[in-house]
Amino acid sequence: MIKLAVYGKGGIGKSTVTSNLAAAFASLGKKVIQIGCDPKADSTINLLSGNRVTPVMNYLREFDREPRRLEEIAKEGFGHVLCIETGGPTPGLGCAGRGILTTFALLEDLRLFETRRPDVVLYDVLGDVVCGGFAAPIREGYASEVLIVTSGEKMALYAAENINTAVRNFADRGYAKTRGIVLNRRDVEGEEEKVRAFARRAGLPVVADIPRSADIIRCEDLGKTVVEGDPSLPVSRRFFALAELLLGEGEADA
Amino acid sequence: MKRCARILPVYAADTSGVCSALYELGGMTVIHDASGCNSTYTTHDEPRWYDFDSMVYISGLTETEAVMGDDQKLIDDIADAARELSPRFVAVCGAPIPMMVGTDFEAIAAAVEEETGTPAFGLNTSGMRSYLAGESEALETVAEKFCRTNVPGTKELSANLVGATPLDFSVNGSVESIRRWLADNGFGLVSCLAMGSSLDEIARAGGAHVNLVVSAGGLAAAKALRKRFGTPYVAGVPVGAAFSKLLAEELRSAAESGKSGAPCARRKNGARGGLAVVGESVFAGSLARAAELDLGEPAGVLCPLETAPELTAPGDAMIPGEEDAAERFARAGGVVADPLYRPVCPDGVPFYGLPHEAFSGRCFRKSIPNLIGKNLKRWMKR
Repeated sequence: MIKLAVYGKGGIGKSTVTSNLAAAFASLGKKVIQIGCDPKADSTINLLSGNRVTPVMNYLREFDREPRRLEEIAKEGFGHVLCIETGGPTPGLGCAGRGILTTFALLEDLRLFETRRPDVVLYDVLGDVVCGGFAAPIREGYASEVLIVTSGEKMALYAAENINTAVRNFADRGYAKTRGIVLNRRDVEGEEEKVRAFARRAGLPVVADIPRSADIIRCEDLGKTVVEGDPSLPVSRRFFALAELLLGEGEADA
Repeated sequence: MKRCARILPVYAADTSGVCSALYELGGMTVIHDASGCNSTYTTHDEPRWYDFDSMVYISGLTETEAVMGDDQKLIDDIADAARELSPRFVAVCGAPIPMMVGTDFEAIAAAVEEETGTPAFGLNTSGMRSYLAGESEALETVAEKFCRTNVPGTKELSANLVGATPLDFSVNGSVESIRRWLADNGFGLVSCLAMGSSLDEIARAGGAHVNLVVSAGGLAAAKALRKRFGTPYVAGVPVGAAFSKLLAEELRSAAESGKSGAPCARRKNGARGGLAVVGESVFAGSLARAAELDLGEPAGVLCPLETAPELTAPGDAMIPGEEDAAERFARAGGVVADPLYRPVCPDGVPFYGLPHEAFSGRCFRKSIPNLIGKNLKRWMKR
């Protein structure tokens, strides 16, 4: 089973990358689960034709009890990808990190992995590894590898470095290891050079180079991933190439 | 005001369940929490504290350490103590603060094990569940981690007692009576998880023919033993004259057939209109069945604690809150419960006080009866 956590600076395109990767895995015949770990709960929206699944935290808030069946907090989207969102507490209150831990414990109680038996699990995590809760997806038993999404922008690279350091700090705990960097282009000056320089310093491969694309935005406006919208487009092929690489059937472009 | 307790206290927490289950095994148990947590355990939940040495510690977590997530200090402190005290194992568990900040106890235990060479494990307690959840996780881990695989089966018929702690059985001789009852019925005792047996004795648990699960806290360990050694289990406590006889037969039959069962949950009637027994589901279920057999009265269980479907009978009910308890008591023909439940029992409904250490602690310790193998008629009359 492939278990990946996707981290990166807020707004860098983690959900776009994760959803397209999920769609690509699904199109390759894999059984996929995507778990959005962000209080905004919008990770899976483009796998669900613009619809939303009830986030776990919202469910707990609304019903004042834990869900009894997986169907109450999970929805199948494109390619039968099972979509789950942790959601978060009321903005300004509570603890979003704790919300992730609570959701994971709940999914364990609902025997998600045993009953669903996925080939691929993707965790789309909010921004940086800011506290214990946001490190939960890389704990033993959850993701075994981390993908860091970054552009060539200074702050995105800064966040990428922090994330990589945090992951390395957990090396002696048997946590996930960084698999590589996904360059999600913003077309800033010297972008590729800057990202590759960072990758070299960190000793990490650039596993995908996603061009800035109007097609992605056009498809997302229709509530779709670009992989679903038009799998033959060059940008869609990049996601397929990344999926194949992660399945051990391709090569990194670095 | 749902689940708001105005009158009733809470049951001992999961941390106490862990400490109680591991108390006699020669390990070191560390509760990661601010100072004071250990005193709650030792003062209210541990009757062996002044008579029996055990390495139960508190980490003395500070606000700054919690905010900073300074796990290394905890790892270093435990490693230092372990080097000094040479425990058989190290167990690390947490209270509400580590739960909120997401402390990863399994990772911390792995680091301690690597640093000291002492077997270590983390338990995911939070102080928010009952003692049964902690006991269950602790005993299951012991069954998985310390019970040896290369143990030959005993020649004579034998059993393990699984799920015995003072939180359910106090220190009034009940566990010793169960041991005698086993012997009287032709069973050798391999080990008791976890009162009166050493870790070495428990390591040989795989050699027994059958496991007697005496509390819901022992069910997960019994399942782990069944998975590892194929040993069947039988859930029940030999209370009452007729039920203790029946339980011995069930135990013998399980040892022969290899089939597990829960005679404590094989009852005819529920709590509605009959005698309602309140408490931990295996003991309460056994008492209810014993009441059916000894008194000829319908009896059911009202369970305020964690349990499993296989340990409950049709008509049994969960009473997670005070209001649920009061409502159910009003419909019962009589209530058997810890004396602290008496104020929520309506006038006119007969109430039989049966103190439970995990609920009222030391308040009524001296009057906790030993009901093993005894006809219930006499006790009810008294």
